[in-house]
Amino acid sequence: MRLALVALAALAAGPARAAPPPAVVTAAVALAAEVGPPPEGRRALLLAVEARAPALALTLETALDAALAARGYAVTPRRGTTEPEGAARAAGQDWLLRVRAGLVPGAGELALVGELIPAWPSFFLQRRPGARAIPPRVVQARAPADPGTLLLGREERPPGAPFAAIRALGRLPGRVLALAIGDPSGGRRPALVAVTPGLVAVLSPDAAPIAVRHAAGQLSPVRDPAAALAIGEFGGGRVALQRAGAPRGEVLALRGDALEPAGTLEAAPLCAGGAGPLFGAFAPGTGVFLDVLTRLVDPAARPRSPRTLYGASAAPRGGPIAFAALGTDLVLALLGPDLAPVEAAAPAAALATGSGFALADLDGDGTAELVASSPTPGAPDRIRILAPLAKAPLLLESPPIEGVILAGAGGDLTGDGLDDAVLAALVTGEDGAPASTLLLVTADPRESP
Amino acid sequence: MSRALALLAAALPALAAAGVRPAWGGTLRIGLSGPARAAGEGADPADLLVMRATSAPLLELDARGRLVPGALAEVPAAEADGRVFRLRLRPGLVDAAGRRLGAADLAVRLTSLLSRSPPSPHAFVALPIAGADAVLDGRTHTLSGVQILSATELVITLAFPLPQFPLLLATAPAGLPGAGPFVLAGPALAGAPLRLVRNERHHEGRPFADALELHARDARVAARLLEKGELDLVLRPEALGSRVTALPALTATVAALNPDRLGAGTEPLRRALAAIDRAELALRFVRGPAEPLAAIAPSALGAGAPPPAGPGGTAGAPPPQIVLLADAGAADQRALAERIQVKLFDRGVRVSLDLVDGATGLRGRLAAGDFDVALVPVTVLAPDGALTAGQIAWATRGAAAARRVMTELAAPLEPGAAQAAADRLARELALVPLVASGLRASAGPALEGLVARPDGAIDGGRLWRLGGTAP
Repeated sequence: MRLALVALAALAAGPARAAPPPAVVTAAVALAAEVGPPPEGRRALLLAVEARAPALALTLETALDAALAARGYAVTPRRGTTEPEGAARAAGQDWLLRVRAGLVPGAGELALVGELIPAWPSFFLQRRPGARAIPPRVVQARAPADPGTLLLGREERPPGAPFAAIRALGRLPGRVLALAIGDPSGGRRPALVAVTPGLVAVLSPDAAPIAVRHAAGQLSPVRDPAAALAIGEFGGGRVALQRAGAPRGEVLALRGDALEPAGTLEAAPLCAGGAGPLFGAFAPGTGVFLDVLTRLVDPAARPRSPRTLYGASAAPRGGPIAFAALGTDLVLALLGPDLAPVEAAAPAAALATGSGFALADLDGDGTAELVASSPTPGAPDRIRILAPLAKAPLLLESPPIEGVILAGAGGDLTGDGLDDAVLAALVTGEDGAPASTLLLVTADPRESP
Repeated sequence: MSRALALLAAALPALAAAGVRPAWGGTLRIGLSGPARAAGEGADPADLLVMRATSAPLLELDARGRLVPGALAEVPAAEADGRVFRLRLRPGLVDAAGRRLGAADLAVRLTSLLSRSPPSPHAFVALPIAGADAVLDGRTHTLSGVQILSATELVITLAFPLPQFPLLLATAPAGLPGAGPFVLAGPALAGAPLRLVRNERHHEGRPFADALELHARDARVAARLLEKGELDLVLRPEALGSRVTALPALTATVAALNPDRLGAGTEPLRRALAAIDRAELALRFVRGPAEPLAAIAPSALGAGAPPPAGPGGTAGAPPPQIVLLADAGAADQRALAERIQVKLFDRGVRVSLDLVDGATGLRGRLAAGDFDVALVPVTVLAPDGALTAGQIAWATRGAAAARRVMTELAAPLEPGAAQAAADRLARELALVPLVASGLRASAGPALEGLVARPDGAIDGGRLWRLGGTAP
């Protein structure tokens, strides 16, 4: 007992050691379990780990080394660039375990796929030196990616690549009024939620429909349809929305492939991010909002000014710029977590944005960038990425985009641990009816052109 | 005119908003050639703008020229070979005061178009309805062709087949007064702008602007105010500033001859008028967008030049001296009359001009037959050949002629046959189509939502200012 206490005290007094990235260790242990113990005393194993992110490869190699050693293997990490199977045979290894690792796009998972190849010479196949003594095996393991693993798995941007890539993610019928990225099920699976005049759709990161709920109920007429949308914890459900002209907001719960009513809201859910949700109120009879921004539902909240707002966006991971609110006067207000104004270094004109915009920390520097549509009416539209706290904020301006961008949202869709943004461009569909092209804006190097 | 309609859909989206959603609020100031009237019985573009802003059209025309529901819940289908139409009003329709509007109000509106004395220029809209003559003549106050079925439904029976009748339901005069996106803030005062304030109860929702102010401004003043941002939109013939869109040339100017006075000289004079170079008239003597008008039914036109004067009538000399009546208060009419005076002089006809100031005076002289030749501007309400010809005939020759023209041109005809029929009718009615002219919409830098329909109408409820409100 005393010995145990002493050992505990020694542990407590020693330098604090951070836990290794759990996903790397979990996946390595799972893969080692798949490999199993060394049969027939063949313990010598050459380990070759490949990953597009070098940091992930090195850490995973260490974790696999430990996990395989615990299974009884004598592990030799592969060095150099020689062909691995030949190197294993030349070095007298019994096995070659060649592992490829990477983050599953959109899923937030670390995936390992390995080939366990016998490398010892077969007595019966002496005349065929390259022949394998027994058939090889494919082994694999997965683990939900934690932030540390996501950091390790992040690839370097290729030299000369633009700050971010923009590509079409999919197309929805109708005009997208509001977008949100988040976890609508509470199952740690990112998804995109879109509201159009006719429906609410939960979409997978590749824009495939997961659940669709058609709009119901009578709305007061509004000349330009609009909606507020947020994903977060809203009581019985994680999707909250209010359509312009509706008397109140509604909360929806994603259950399987169904979006079900789960409650009502006496405020418009403007957005939700790392700093929490933000609520507002539609100006009566319109599709724009009063200058009401509250952190809690407060139907009695008074407008801060006579201004009206196109909407607000939340930084998915918070940070010094937690929210941004765009007025119908096209003045963008940057707000901290406490809704206090954040001073931009650049002149207001440099941060001018159209009504489709989103905050998203694309480069992972802890401060959200502003992904914005053009502030100038007249097609074609362009996507601009702005660093609001920089003196020269323009990081990227896209070539002309087909359509008109009127909605946007930020969040991690590619599963690399960094925010992406999705903007919806209103176009004319092939049938002549309105449609929306969903555009992914991401700094994930896997999306680099 | 037809070419203008075709170009319109492609030209106007340039002024529509892109990348920025509409904003509500503020007062939009619109400059016009003349003072806007609140009474709603005028027929010039300013009057029609006020009428459209303060009434709810039964049907609307989309950008492609297709009919879509307005105050009606659906576009009525023709029954009985185009003689019967069942109209169903949108449920819950109310006027700006909150009063429920129903089929009885629509019946009253249609009847009121016919029951004014002197007749309203907009009576043409209800003219095809059975029993219109009895109301026009003051013999009754109800239209026999209108049968109310329920609070929101009625059946209209026409006096003759007219499949194009729903297009008349999309005109501003057919709209339900008091149910438009705006209402009059008060009586119009001399020298003061006409102010319209928003109707919160409009069936499409609150208009974007809180108010419209309509100012009469000459071209120079309008250009200066537009540049200073003190006007948001100018609707005048001239192009002002850099954001200019030509609206469809929908004001048809025709020469109406009076056979009762001209006698045998009518046809030679008609031929002399028809021989005037109408392209030159359109190009040099009309300030706004214009094109030569080759027929009284524009959709029967090809894209080519006006047809020759055509055969018909007895050969002979035109009368040596005539009086040309024109409305000097209407755009370009004086210039056109003076040019015609010169051209007819070349053909041996001495013309003295008789200028009246205002459409009411012109209509009175026409009704009394007190003219030799009259220049009559007609702002066409419905973009359809038969209806245009019918409206021109109504404005110049009265109800019977209008009905006859519509009856003959309403049936589907081959393009060549339609043009021949229109030419024949013009000859028989002693009409010479001259030019079609329109206005230009000159927008200020912040004005958005300016989309003119194929019938030339601008929905004031959709106008908004980029960057929000202004005091």
